[in-house]
Amino acid sequence: MQLWIDRLLSHRLRALVHKELNQIKRDRRIMMSLVLPPLLQLMLFGSVMNPSVANLHLGVLDESQSPESRDLVAALSESRSFQLTGLYRSVNLLGDDLSQGTIDAGVVIPADFARDLHRGRSTTIQVLLNAMNANSAAISQGYVQGVVQGYNQTIRPAAVQPALTEVAGGPARRGVALLHPTLLYNPGGVTTWFIVTGLFGVLLIMNGTITASTTMVKEREAGTLEQLLMTPANIWEIIVAKIVPPFFLLGITALVAVGVLRLYFRVPFHGSVLLVTISSALCLLCGIGIGTAMATITKSAQQAQLATFFINPPLMSLSGAMTPAEAMPGWMRPWTALNPIYHFGTITRGCLIKGSGLSDLWPHLLALFAFAFVLMSVSVWRFRRQLS
Amino acid sequence: MRRLSAQARKELTQLLRDRLALALALLLPLFQLMLMGSSLSLIVRDLPIVVQDLDDSPASREFIDAFRASLTFRIVHWATDRDPEQSFADGSARGALIIPHHFGGDLLRGTDTPVQIVVDGSDANTAKLVAGYAGGVVRAFNAARGAGAGRQPAVQTAMRLWYNPSLSSRKFYGPGIFVMAISMFPPLLATLAMAKEGERKTILQVYVSSISAHEFLLGKILAFMAVAFAEALLLLVFLFAFFGAQLAGDPTPFLVATLLYAFCVASFGIMIGAAIPSQAAAMQAVMFGGFLLVFMLSGLIFPLANVPGGLRWLSNFVWSRYYIEVVRDAFLQGGGWPATWYKVAAIGGIGGVFYGLSWRRMRRMQLEV
Repeated sequence: MQLWIDRLLSHRLRALVHKELNQIKRDRRIMMSLVLPPLLQLMLFGSVMNPSVANLHLGVLDESQSPESRDLVAALSESRSFQLTGLYRSVNLLGDDLSQGTIDAGVVIPADFARDLHRGRSTTIQVLLNAMNANSAAISQGYVQGVVQGYNQTIRPAAVQPALTEVAGGPARRGVALLHPTLLYNPGGVTTWFIVTGLFGVLLIMNGTITASTTMVKEREAGTLEQLLMTPANIWEIIVAKIVPPFFLLGITALVAVGVLRLYFRVPFHGSVLLVTISSALCLLCGIGIGTAMATITKSAQQAQLATFFINPPLMSLSGAMTPAEAMPGWMRPWTALNPIYHFGTITRGCLIKGSGLSDLWPHLLALFAFAFVLMSVSVWRFRRQLS
Repeated sequence: MRRLSAQARKELTQLLRDRLALALALLLPLFQLMLMGSSLSLIVRDLPIVVQDLDDSPASREFIDAFRASLTFRIVHWATDRDPEQSFADGSARGALIIPHHFGGDLLRGTDTPVQIVVDGSDANTAKLVAGYAGGVVRAFNAARGAGAGRQPAVQTAMRLWYNPSLSSRKFYGPGIFVMAISMFPPLLATLAMAKEGERKTILQVYVSSISAHEFLLGKILAFMAVAFAEALLLLVFLFAFFGAQLAGDPTPFLVATLLYAFCVASFGIMIGAAIPSQAAAMQAVMFGGFLLVFMLSGLIFPLANVPGGLRWLSNFVWSRYYIEVVRDAFLQGGGWPATWYKVAAIGGIGGVFYGLSWRRMRRMQLEV
C-alpha cells in the first residue's frame, strides 16, 4: 500500500497522509473503533435482530376431546411456529394466561367439533392471538390458516366431502383455487439476510461519520489546525489527507464485513462483488462527508457526539435498513430517496441475494455517487469558509 | 432535606440555562418518537406485484380483482411475455401472481386449480406476510364462489386478535420508542452533569461543603427524575394525540413503574458520571446502556424470544426491558398488577443497585490520589 500511495500522490500530500496515518495509529481508541466495533456490531445486531416468528406459546382448550380434535392440535404444534404450552379447562383461564403473556395464542375447539365433522357439517374453531406485536400476529395468523387448510385437505376426501356435496345437492363440486406461495431467492425464509445487508450500510455510514468527525475535531481542539494551515499544502491537500487514511482503514473493515456476511451469516453472493465493493466505498465517502461537515459545525468532540443524536434518528429510521421501506407511511417513503443507506441497502440486497446487475441497479449507484460528491463538496466548502 | 432540595434546584437551574441540553431533553425525544414511531413497522402496505394472467377468462379477472381490492397489494403493469423475475431484479415489483391458462376452465369443470405466487425472498419477513395475505385473499375468493354452491371448508377458523385488532404497528412501537427516549436522554443529561463536576473539578467544592453523599446524589437524581417526568408527560400527550394510545386497564402499575423507572435511569446516569469523570467517555458508556441495550435486548422492535440463548439471559438485567413490558401492558394488554408486579419490582431493584453503586463511589467524598 505504501508503495502505491507513493507513486500516486505528490510528496506534500504523501507527507500529510503519513502524518494522519501515524496519528491514527497512535490513538488506540480510534484504531480500535475503526476495526473492532463495526464487525462486532454487525455480528451482534445481526444475530439479535430477528423478526421471525417461531415457537409461539400455544394454549389449547379442547372441549371436543376427540381423535379429530387431537389431530388438529397435533397439526398445529407440529409446525415450528407453535409450541404447545398448556391445556386449559375453561375459556377464562385461557384468557387470563393470554393477558399475562404466558401464552401467545389460544385455540378453542368446540364440543361439537368431531360430531359436526362426522355429520359432514362445517365447524368453527376459535383462535385467539395476542396481537400486540402486529407483525408476529399477522404472520402467525397466516400460519394458523395454513395449518387448518392442510388439515381440511386431509379429512375432506374421507368422510366429510360426500356428505357436504349431498347437502348441497346436485353436481355441486366446484373447483377451488389453491395458492402455492414460493419464496424466490430465499426458499428457507431466512430473515437475517435482510437485516444484515441493511445493517452493513448503517454501520458504514455511522462509523464513517464518527471517525471523520473525531479526527477533524481533534485537530481543532488541540489547536493544531493553524499549524497545518501554515504549511505550504493547500486546503484540498489537507482535506484529502484527512480523508484518505480513515477511508482506507474503514474500507478494510468493510471488506472483512463482506466476509462476515458470507461466512457467518451465509448470505448468498449471487451478483457481482465488485459492484458491492464500489458502492460500499461510495457509502463510506458519504459517511465521511457527513462527519466532516459535522466537524466544521461543532467545536468539541463532545458536541460532535451530541450532534450525532440529531443526525442518526432520521438516517436510521428512513433507511429501510431494518424494517422494509414499503412499510413506512406514504408521506415518509419519498424521503428514503435522500438517504444513502437506503440506496446502499437496495444495491447490496439486489446484488447479493437477487443477483441483479448494474443494468438494474444503476439508479441507486448513481444516487450514491451523487450523495458522495455533494457531501464531499459541502464539507470542503464548509471547511474552507471556516478557515477564511 | 433543605440541602437536598437546594442541590436539586441548582441542578435544574444549570440545565435550564443550557440550551443544547434542553433541546436534547425535550425536543429530541419528541422528534425521535415522531420519526421512529411512524416509520417503524414491519407490515407492508401497497406492495407492488405483477400478474401473469395466462388464462384471461372471466374467472381469472375476477381472481385478479380480489387481489386488486386488497390494501396490501398494488398491481403494476407487466407484459405477459416478459419473465416476472426481471421485475424483482430492479425492484419494480416484489411479488408475481401466476395464473395458469386452464384456470377458468378448471374452476368451471370442478377441478381444483393451482395458482402460484412468487415472492421476492430477499426480505423474508415481508415474503411470509405476503404469502399469508395472499392466502387470505384466495380463501375469500374461494368462499365467495363456494358459498353459492353450498360448499364450505370443513373446519373454519374464527380469528380474534386481542389487544390490537387493527394490527397497528404504531400502537406497539409507539410505547417502545417512548421507553427508548426515557432510557436515553435523562441519563445522558445526568451523566453529563455528573461527569462535568469531575472534569472541571467542581466536585471538590462539593467535597468541602457540608452536604452528605446521600443528599448530593439524591438531589441530582431528583433533578433528573424531574427531567424524565417532563419528558414522559410531553411524550405521553403526543402518544395519546397522534398514536392512538389508550389506557387499557388499571393505570397504577404504569404510574408506579414510571416513578421507579425515572429513578432507575437517573441513578444509572449518575452512576456512570461518578465512575467516569470525562464527559465524552461517560457519554459513550451511557449510550451503550441507554441505547444499545434498549435497542437490542429489551424487545423494542423484535421479539426477545428470537435472541440467541447465549445472549438472551442478559436481557434479564436490562432495566428497559421490564419497563417496555409494563408500558405495553398498560397501553395494550391491560393485565394490571397480576401481570406486572414483578416487573415493577425489578425496575425498582435495578434502580436501587445503581443508586447503591453510585453511593459507594461517592461515599468517601474525597479525591483518589
